[in-house]
Amino acid sequence: MIDITGYWVSLVTEDWRYRQFTPPKGDYTSVPIGPAGKKVADAWDPAKDEAAGEQCKAYGAAGLMRMPTRLRITWQDDNTLKLETDAGTQTRIFGFGPPQGAGGDWQGVSSASWDSPRAPINTFFGGLDFGFTPPPPPGGSLKVVTTKLRPGYLRKNGVPYGAGTVLTEYFDRFDLPGADALLLVISEVNDPEYLAQPFWTSTHFKKQNDASGWNPTPCTSR
Amino acid sequence: MKNSMKNIHGILQILLALVMGATLYGQGRAALDIDISGYWTPALHEDGLERGGGPEIADYGGFTLNDAGRLWALSYDPSRLTLRHHQCDAYVMPYQMRAVGNFRFWEERDPHTQQLVAVDIWAQTTEGHRVIWMDGRPHPPAWAPRSFTGFSTGQFVGNALVIYTTHLKQGWLRRNGSPESDQATVMEFIVRHGDHLTDTTVVTDPVFLSEPEVRSNDYVRQPGDHHTWLYACDDGEQISGRAPDAVPNYPFGKQPFAREYAERYKLPLVASLSGAESIYPGFAAKAKNATEADFLAKLQPAPNRPPETSKAADPEPHDGEIHVLPVRENVYVLVGDGGNIVVQTGDQGAFVVDSGAGMLSDKVIEAIRKLSPKPIQFIANTSARAEHVGGNAKLGAAGSDPSLPGSFFDLQAPGAATGHLSDPAHHATLIAQNNVVIRLEAAKAPADMIPADTYLEERRRKFHNGELIELFYEPNAVTDGDSIVHFRRSDVIAAGDVFNTTQYPFIDLKNGGSVQGEIKALNHILDRTGYEHEEQGGTYIVPGHGYLSDEHEVVEYRDMVVIIRDRVQAMIKAGATLEQVKAAGVTADYDTRYGANSGPWTTAMFVEAVYNSLKQPPAKTEAK
Repeated sequence: MIDITGYWVSLVTEDWRYRQFTPPKGDYTSVPIGPAGKKVADAWDPAKDEAAGEQCKAYGAAGLMRMPTRLRITWQDDNTLKLETDAGTQTRIFGFGPPQGAGGDWQGVSSASWDSPRAPINTFFGGLDFGFTPPPPPGGSLKVVTTKLRPGYLRKNGVPYGAGTVLTEYFDRFDLPGADALLLVISEVNDPEYLAQPFWTSTHFKKQNDASGWNPTPCTSR
Repeated sequence: MKNSMKNIHGILQILLALVMGATLYGQGRAALDIDISGYWTPALHEDGLERGGGPEIADYGGFTLNDAGRLWALSYDPSRLTLRHHQCDAYVMPYQMRAVGNFRFWEERDPHTQQLVAVDIWAQTTEGHRVIWMDGRPHPPAWAPRSFTGFSTGQFVGNALVIYTTHLKQGWLRRNGSPESDQATVMEFIVRHGDHLTDTTVVTDPVFLSEPEVRSNDYVRQPGDHHTWLYACDDGEQISGRAPDAVPNYPFGKQPFAREYAERYKLPLVASLSGAESIYPGFAAKAKNATEADFLAKLQPAPNRPPETSKAADPEPHDGEIHVLPVRENVYVLVGDGGNIVVQTGDQGAFVVDSGAGMLSDKVIEAIRKLSPKPIQFIANTSARAEHVGGNAKLGAAGSDPSLPGSFFDLQAPGAATGHLSDPAHHATLIAQNNVVIRLEAAKAPADMIPADTYLEERRRKFHNGELIELFYEPNAVTDGDSIVHFRRSDVIAAGDVFNTTQYPFIDLKNGGSVQGEIKALNHILDRTGYEHEEQGGTYIVPGHGYLSDEHEVVEYRDMVVIIRDRVQAMIKAGATLEQVKAAGVTADYDTRYGANSGPWTTAMFVEAVYNSLKQPPAKTEAK
């Protein structure tokens, strides 16, 4: 089991223009968007979102981790991790065990598990083990599957994802020399409504020793 | 029958499980963790435009470039790629891992123990072949050559393959001139989740980055081989009639496309030039407040700022020992006594190029004797500089030239000949361009360290140990007596101080050096070199100081000298004084690599040498 608790800060080194700034309408470069998605993205109107009180459409689970943000990750209880962002002041709840909750909000319902990098050996032998199946290696990833999302944006300029989206994420921690650490969040967005194929990104964060820089800000649509 | 088949099947399952289990245990953790073998295609869902079609000039947002890195990038003119020696530049790690082409990963295992020896990665684009050693071997010494993929070692930690890479060539973080220096090291973390592989790279570059650059690349597993693994490249004439000393570059503040990227995407002008601060939350708001003056300030060196000093690791050992690095065939480099010493061995005795500073000559002699029991027959000096002739007397005395006894030299009256020629059988023959002799005599050097076998113009040839060895005179380069020495069969060039990897060229005006001659000499080296594959390998070049190189390092060094020459020349044409040139920071993008503010050769001295040799070019060197 890896420890991903603590404060982390985004390192926006990829898709920099799309993440640090709001790209122009219709700029969905790199996103495997389908025709229906393009239609929605081309009609993006931030004023309309503001009027509808939907400034947080880009802060939903499928877009949130791409925001320039700080994270605060804590154990809410023995079976629940809580991930908070200062950008948009959002909270994601990762429950271990069966998905719980009705969802339908920006962060949906997330189910967490510890993911071993390999399948148990004995699955290949009809359940036979004979004591030869090695123990799982230390480490592993936190796997989070999120569903029941309120439709939102993959990018701030209205590149959409739909209510049927399944977001699968793997959280990996890498320790660097000098006590630094990185958090890597690998994300696969499956959206049969707006995407032509799964949308893969990997987003990284640097460990912070404390809450410095933590600056909760409201969602903005522009 | 059904039952007996079932039993057999069960027994087979048990046997298979036993064999598999035992095998897996025997292989240890490395085999149990992740298997990344197979065919992988990058998912270009991040930075897809710049990784595919190509990036725009001044799109450096998200890069932790320091001032030197940003200025280097702004000076870059993509037309540089039309130069012969840049046409086939390979992608340097980790940019290689962001390439659009396909990748193949495979394991190398010891056939007897089945232990994992290495993980190999082949990148379709520029045919990048990486070997990640998993057997615990150490990294090569600092004086070993670089490659575009570097030298990598790996181990499994948790669920990640963790890789550490050193010995990289200079290349780019992005193919718009954003530089990565030859001092960069990379840590990587490769994790696999099903058919999805992610490689996170952390680049530390003390020369061009102010903090590590972190990026990650995603790959999707492919079911099989697509049979497109080659990347043919041969260089040719792309722009005919171009002067040999032309290296496309923009003067500081004159990058014509500096605004284009920001204006096209309606970004604050300063945004993509802001280095490390551009990667953190809160940057956008800050950038919006930047002014035109802030932008213009990013385009050139900070005024009156003292030059930065080199952040490069010293490639020389300084441990009081002589270290031997095999180069190719029977040619070696001896490192440790100041300047590099090249030794060619064979039945006829050693041919040595330069003799070091003379501080460790006994150890040099001992090292040469270990390479060959035959005596040193020839010592060629590439210049009269102390780190190259300091060991002449001792190395010379330890050798002999069996070609002299029995020749007319034996007929000379004792004392008629100078130096070691008075005792030809018991001293190696020292060879150099004639001005080396003149400089050493002027410095009142002892007779036994002064070359007696000299040449005046063009070249001197020796066929020795089955190999043609050519000394070429390089007039008015770092001095007026420079030679480069080309071992033709081994294809190794000892460049002397015409080329080094440690500092700006030591252009010694008092002893006949000039920036024009230095550029000409570097280009002459490049006229004689060839690469093996994608602008690396092929001809080896031994610098006077620093690590064993190939033509890529010489090209980058030549480019640097030309670019700085261009800047100084432009200022001279505009009437600038030496002090104004120094204050302009004409070396600002190279100082973190080559600069020095103290010691025998400072940045200020180099700039002064460039300025003065342009203001008063040396008279055409006449052979003396």
